[in-house]
Amino acid sequence: MSSVGANPSKPVPRILVFSTHNISDPGIDLAGSQHRHYSTGVQVISVPCTSGIRPGWIAHAIERGYDGVFIASDGDECAYLPDCSHRASGIVQEAQELLKKSGKDPQRVKMAAICSVCAEPFAKHMESFSGILAGLNASGAK
Amino acid sequence: MDYDVLVVGSGIGGMESALKLGDMGYKVLLVEREGSVGGRMILLSKVFPTLDCASCISTPKMASTIHHPNITAMTYGEVDGIRRDKNGRFHVQVRQKARYVDEAACTGCQQCETACTVAVPDQFNADLVARRAAYIPFPQAVPKKAVIERQGTSPCTNTCPAGIKTHGYVSLIRSGKYEEAFQRVADVTPLVATLGRACYAPCEDQCTRGELEAPIPIRRLKRFAADTHYGRKDLPNVDRPQANGKRVAIIGSGPAGLTAAWQLARQGYGVKIFEAEPQPGGAMRLSIPSYRLPVEALERDIANVTALGVEIATSTRVTDLDKLRSDGFDAVCVATGTPSSAKLRVDGEDLAGVQSALSFLRDIKLGAKPNLAGKTVAVIGGGNVAIDAARSAQRLGATAVHQICLERRGEMPAHTWEVKEALDESVQLHDGWGIAGFTGNLEVEAVDLKRCTAVFDAEHKFRPQYDDSDRQSIRCDLAIVAIGMGVDTAAFPKLAPNGSRALQANPQTLQTSLPWVFAAGDAVDGPTSIATAVGKGNRAAYMIDRYLRGLELGAFEGIDDRLGVMDKSQVLARQKSYTPRKVIKLSLPLSAHPQDFAEIEPPMTEAEARAGSGGCLDCGVCSECGQCVETCPADAIHLDMKEKKQEVEVGAVVVSTGYKLFAADLKPQYGFGKYPNVITAMQMDRLLAPTRPFNTILRPGDGKVPERIAYIMCTGSRDKTVDNPLCSKFCCMYSVKQNQLIMGALPLADVTVHYMDIRAAGKRYEEFYDQAKSMGATYVKGRVAKISEKDDGNLVVRYEDIENGGNLVEAEYDLVVLAVGVQPNKDPVGLFPEEKLALDDYSYVAELDEDLNPGRTNIPGVFVAGTASGAKDIVDSILHAGAAAAQVAAHLEEQAQAQRETTQAKMKVLA
Repeated sequence: MSSVGANPSKPVPRILVFSTHNISDPGIDLAGSQHRHYSTGVQVISVPCTSGIRPGWIAHAIERGYDGVFIASDGDECAYLPDCSHRASGIVQEAQELLKKSGKDPQRVKMAAICSVCAEPFAKHMESFSGILAGLNASGAK
Repeated sequence: MDYDVLVVGSGIGGMESALKLGDMGYKVLLVEREGSVGGRMILLSKVFPTLDCASCISTPKMASTIHHPNITAMTYGEVDGIRRDKNGRFHVQVRQKARYVDEAACTGCQQCETACTVAVPDQFNADLVARRAAYIPFPQAVPKKAVIERQGTSPCTNTCPAGIKTHGYVSLIRSGKYEEAFQRVADVTPLVATLGRACYAPCEDQCTRGELEAPIPIRRLKRFAADTHYGRKDLPNVDRPQANGKRVAIIGSGPAGLTAAWQLARQGYGVKIFEAEPQPGGAMRLSIPSYRLPVEALERDIANVTALGVEIATSTRVTDLDKLRSDGFDAVCVATGTPSSAKLRVDGEDLAGVQSALSFLRDIKLGAKPNLAGKTVAVIGGGNVAIDAARSAQRLGATAVHQICLERRGEMPAHTWEVKEALDESVQLHDGWGIAGFTGNLEVEAVDLKRCTAVFDAEHKFRPQYDDSDRQSIRCDLAIVAIGMGVDTAAFPKLAPNGSRALQANPQTLQTSLPWVFAAGDAVDGPTSIATAVGKGNRAAYMIDRYLRGLELGAFEGIDDRLGVMDKSQVLARQKSYTPRKVIKLSLPLSAHPQDFAEIEPPMTEAEARAGSGGCLDCGVCSECGQCVETCPADAIHLDMKEKKQEVEVGAVVVSTGYKLFAADLKPQYGFGKYPNVITAMQMDRLLAPTRPFNTILRPGDGKVPERIAYIMCTGSRDKTVDNPLCSKFCCMYSVKQNQLIMGALPLADVTVHYMDIRAAGKRYEEFYDQAKSMGATYVKGRVAKISEKDDGNLVVRYEDIENGGNLVEAEYDLVVLAVGVQPNKDPVGLFPEEKLALDDYSYVAELDEDLNPGRTNIPGVFVAGTASGAKDIVDSILHAGAAAAQVAAHLEEQAQAQRETTQAKMKVLA
């Protein structure tokens, strides 16, 4: 599947998205249902809670060829933990530290709150993140 | 005690009560009727006055409810009854409805929805669009698990004696899945082409569409699927299973024998059919004339059986069952049908030229076609075989064919259409005559008749009465007798007979007096039909398989998985009206003097098949087409799943069953249900919601984006004519909310609101109303008397303009939105069969002291939360549900304290 307007000769940054089962994943699903356009390089894995993501997973994904990792978090609305946002930001920071240590650009990790109907914001996030990653790749950054 | 609290209903009120009680540490059982928690709020666009996204703020609450460690949420469940014991505890009958989906395995991928062949109105989109019978309620459903909606077994499927999923293959054809339709029939029997031509289609008699213009042409649809399949070049294309090492002998290759062989061979059994006649197929091959069932059609069906590895030994009569055993067969199925003919037992029956219909038809099918040119033929009998014989005689050139039967035309056992077709082909019917005898010198010359005055006695037993004074004689050169068929019981002396006319077998297991021998079809039942024999062949295969695997034979669930049959009136009541469909008529090219045995019935065209199947009303909702089962990548769908009932003990009950929306068609002057561009506010909320069905606002009639939109307030509220004098409290504000959202989405649209009073009592509500006015919404005070529709779908609203002189004015709009009010939900009354749950004067659940003790009902320990007790907006519902939770907690603590005091008192006594 190729997105409208995509240049087939230009490599599309690969983005791994961590969504959450009940909140951000339906929003991402809705982006598809509404035929919103975002990069074909996006792949989504749904998890119960953002706090369960391990920084090592993020570093591993970058190590194995993803250009960036996007965490579609529940924000303050997590069904499991009232301090989920705080924990999630800690996870992102740790992941960025891991990336720095391995010489990778920490901008390759991004997090934003995505609600259950945030189809349009998600598509915009993907568009801008894809642009950032394309820039990083073009500049030769790791 | 299993749970501290039962909460019935998971709208915003039920969720709030459950969460608050869970947070306090109480164990909560939450029972929700639908497949997801969330109630109505999750379906709304935004909430007033903050214009927060309803989905965004509902979903976290829904997720919290499902994942809360102290809450057990049962979705797609029902509370059947609640009984309070003397200790004040409640015993609750809870039923987990069959979801037909393993929740643990379902990943919510929605592939079952895509594969499903049934579309029904989507209640989660206020019926604006369709959903599938396999569905996830809405994109934000929690849990996001599929449900297969099965309301019952469709009448067509229920009545099929073969056990074919009739509704299933009809819905597959409707979806263009012709090969899948063929395979759905082939799941039951290899005789797809045969049944597509020669079945008497009892399904069509039961078709609910028949209550409208005409039943759908179910049999011909099956033939269409068969014709399409057999038009392929890669046939027979049958997967041969791995042999399981066991062998079964089947005696007889009629519908029961072939079906049993088909089913057993598909399970890996080595099957050999022994057929006494020179050709396989039994009565289908030898008795049904080719103009009804061409030999080639039957041969194609049989080729599938032999392609599975089934051997057919023709011209091989078997009578020694023990020899089969010694030849290595582990089980035997006797399916020899009814090959013998009944005799009239009258004078002259032994004359040459008096012949049984079975032998007459057999001779023709085996190629020995007698030349009847210049001859007169008398056919005796009023059944289908007699009709076949008479019409065959016509084709062989007979000068005249007389059909004589005891019954009057309307009583004849032959189908009405068959009698008509015979008459159209110049068969002369002599109804109401019995046979006195045959006369002739060595050869028959005439048949003598006597008037039959009654065929059945008062108990409807066959006991013909005659008037011997009323007689006539018909000259004939050939007399064909078709008055009944029988079983050759003498062929198997070791099997116990059932009287003189059939073999004896257990009606459930089909096992005979010899445990390893089973008997099926007409050999046991006497003359029936192809479909009935197919059904028995299936049963025999099922039982033989169980017998050979050493399993109990008494388990019948696997062979009859029908639910209760759907009530036709219930099906028809789903829609307010039906547009008559064009009937796919069958016009047979009948000749008054047919010359050959070419097949009469033409095949269906694809367009006819799609149009014919398109009339299906999906009576049972799920058609059992099986596509979801085949598609599900997680093997999560199990159509044999059963509902589960259990009794739980709880300490308190919260009734949070919500409200019902006013049924707008009860105000016929507004035209809802009649004019497509009159919609309800709930439908408008769906058009505005982020998960909206069309991704824009349009009017349902023609898909046009509306430019002039009218709101009619107080539809069903403050209206004694519909028995609801109460204000519904939130209609004004949701209308104001929608006005703002419409003007945001369609900046050029004009919005006019016809109102009695705007009730904006609440924090920032009046400001919210002012904001709508400042955005351009027009508010016109006065009641609307009538709405009428113009040819272009626009609507003319006639109303009283109070603020401009009270004149009657008419205005034209593209779309009219009815701001429907709240109606009480009386369902909670049925929850308490032993104690009456009190309702207030307006039929809401009564609160004993709503000023000071909100939430308490007349039953101690039962509380009400949210709109079950009266109209409330979301904020008030949450407040009320919180209050109810506090009342529950106080009640449980009082009970616990009383329990402690009782225990202490007992200990003192013991001490």
